[in-house]
Amino acid sequence: MTCFHVILPTRSPARAELPAFVTDVRPAPTDPAGRIAVAADLAGLAGALVPFDPGGQESLTVAANVLRRTRHLRVVAEFHAAVATPVYAAKVSASLQRFTAGRLGWRLAVDLDPAVARAQGDFLTGADRYARAEEFLTVAKGVWRGSFDFHGDFYEVVEGGFGLPLSAPPFPEVQLSGTSPEALALSRRHADVHVFAEGDDLDALVPELPGLRYGVQLSSLDHADAYAGRGVTEFFLQTEDVYRLGEHMKERALAG
Amino acid sequence: MPVDIYWRIHMEGDQSSLRRRVRSRGGFAPGGTAPGTRDGRDDGYTHADYMAEVARAAEESGFVGGLLPNFPHTDDPWAAAATLARETTSYRFMVAFQPGFLHPVQAARMTATLQRATGGRVVYNVISGGGGPAQLWWGDKVDHDERYARTSEFLDVLKGVWAGDLTHHGRFYRTEHAGLPAELAGQPFPEIFFSGSSPAAIAAAGRHADYYLSWLEPYEALAEKFAAVRAHSDTPPRFAVRVDLLARESEEEAWEEIAHGWRARAADPERARQVGAGQGGAGQGGAGQGDSVGVRRSRSFLAEAGDDHRALEVAPNVWGGFNALRDGPAFGLVGDYHQVAERLDQLLDLGVDALILAGIPHLEEARRVGRHVLPLLKGRTS
Repeated sequence: MTCFHVILPTRSPARAELPAFVTDVRPAPTDPAGRIAVAADLAGLAGALVPFDPGGQESLTVAANVLRRTRHLRVVAEFHAAVATPVYAAKVSASLQRFTAGRLGWRLAVDLDPAVARAQGDFLTGADRYARAEEFLTVAKGVWRGSFDFHGDFYEVVEGGFGLPLSAPPFPEVQLSGTSPEALALSRRHADVHVFAEGDDLDALVPELPGLRYGVQLSSLDHADAYAGRGVTEFFLQTEDVYRLGEHMKERALAG
Repeated sequence: MPVDIYWRIHMEGDQSSLRRRVRSRGGFAPGGTAPGTRDGRDDGYTHADYMAEVARAAEESGFVGGLLPNFPHTDDPWAAAATLARETTSYRFMVAFQPGFLHPVQAARMTATLQRATGGRVVYNVISGGGGPAQLWWGDKVDHDERYARTSEFLDVLKGVWAGDLTHHGRFYRTEHAGLPAELAGQPFPEIFFSGSSPAAIAAAGRHADYYLSWLEPYEALAEKFAAVRAHSDTPPRFAVRVDLLARESEEEAWEEIAHGWRARAADPERARQVGAGQGGAGQGGAGQGDSVGVRRSRSFLAEAGDDHRALEVAPNVWGGFNALRDGPAFGLVGDYHQVAERLDQLLDLGVDALILAGIPHLEEARRVGRHVLPLLKGRTS
């Protein structure tokens, strides 16, 4: 089944300037993502992505609000592994899953620009970033399932693991991306969905990732059918025109 | 100076009373009741729906906000605060967290995002953690003696990121040009409630705490603790106490409620044994100190109490058996509305500037305490 996901804003848009003679009682816009997410839910879209944006609001916090405001929308928060311990990331997520009937997903940003990473307090570089991401997901999934011990290069857990009811909801759906051999290996082990960028060579990459679902991040749906023909089922779009996407564009895109 | 009165939110599911130790509200007990389960089936309500109602009851009843504690078996306070941020208007979310769980840059980003969503209603309860096996449940390797050093550095980095463009190469953290983007900058920095009894904790509190938080202990012990904090701090923080209440129209009614719970406890020898032995970090309530005088005292009191619950009344209305009837610290206040208000006034006289109250069930008791106890407070007499 083809699913459409809207990429939510993490920065407040500048407001239109009203003429001076028009009475202006507009409240300060504090929830750009929430409004678009509700629109996406009402328009019948499948999901939303809250991107990791160093210049914007924090994605897990935004995702919690978006999940609370919506009924059906699946909401994926993108973050990198240095933000928290994997146990704590899992613990926060277990509560969000409990509060929202399991609608949270994770997108792990592994390949950060080094300067951006250092500003986030993360000095790890190169292939180590994939090694850490692998441990991060192993630990997070491990404690979620129950009794768990782990001694790795990056993390250690002794007599860990969630009990009921925290372990009851499903682990967040994991989305990963990238085209390097390390990225593909990580996806094979841990991803539910591998998300491609526009222009990636899907004919070469998809066979490397058997058994996953495939997504693509697009700037428009003009070529959606070409991606659908290569097995892509998850389409991520940045748009404020959510109703139009829900009502018209996805039908047109699917009509191929 | 005005006194800030908070109301705790149970993060572990709520009991319907102190008479039965079953966390039936919020999906924590198998076969629980609504909200969460109705006629044996999922009823479409979640723990967040119930917590939202507790938060609204608290803000309508005169509380400035609530403490959201965090233990391995509970729901998470960041998740809860971010979920409920826009469903309250004046409620301050006192989020309990340990520096080892989050990177300070991430903590700054999450906090500033929540400050935007709430208009500046985030408060921190910074806990340095109990050390030992409990810390490794969380995957936190830092040794006992280094925890307060890390807490100090964590808060330094967090404040530096908040101020902007922080380059820092410390023992625990490194950053390069870390700051908040325009979207998040310029928010008020949260007040910090800080716990811990060791000299290292008190030294760190002196540098960072707005409030030094203790759970309720016998009043002389509290006074000694506050004196130690004052003596070891260049700029002493204000003081806050976490207090459970059982207040009723009459004193007899209040103690009868306790007696009900006590008899149910006695009828469950396994449970009684566990409580007598202490429950480790998970059961120790909001302040979160594993090395608390209160825990040690409560264990010895409980061991000697036998069937007589009143034997745990260490001073008039100060009862040390709450941990036998629910998860959390031992001491709380039991009495009629006037007695309980008077004991709270006496805490203010000890130099307390903020109270974190709690009662079970948290929803109904928030309204009861707001209606019947808070109006009787007279404030500091000295």
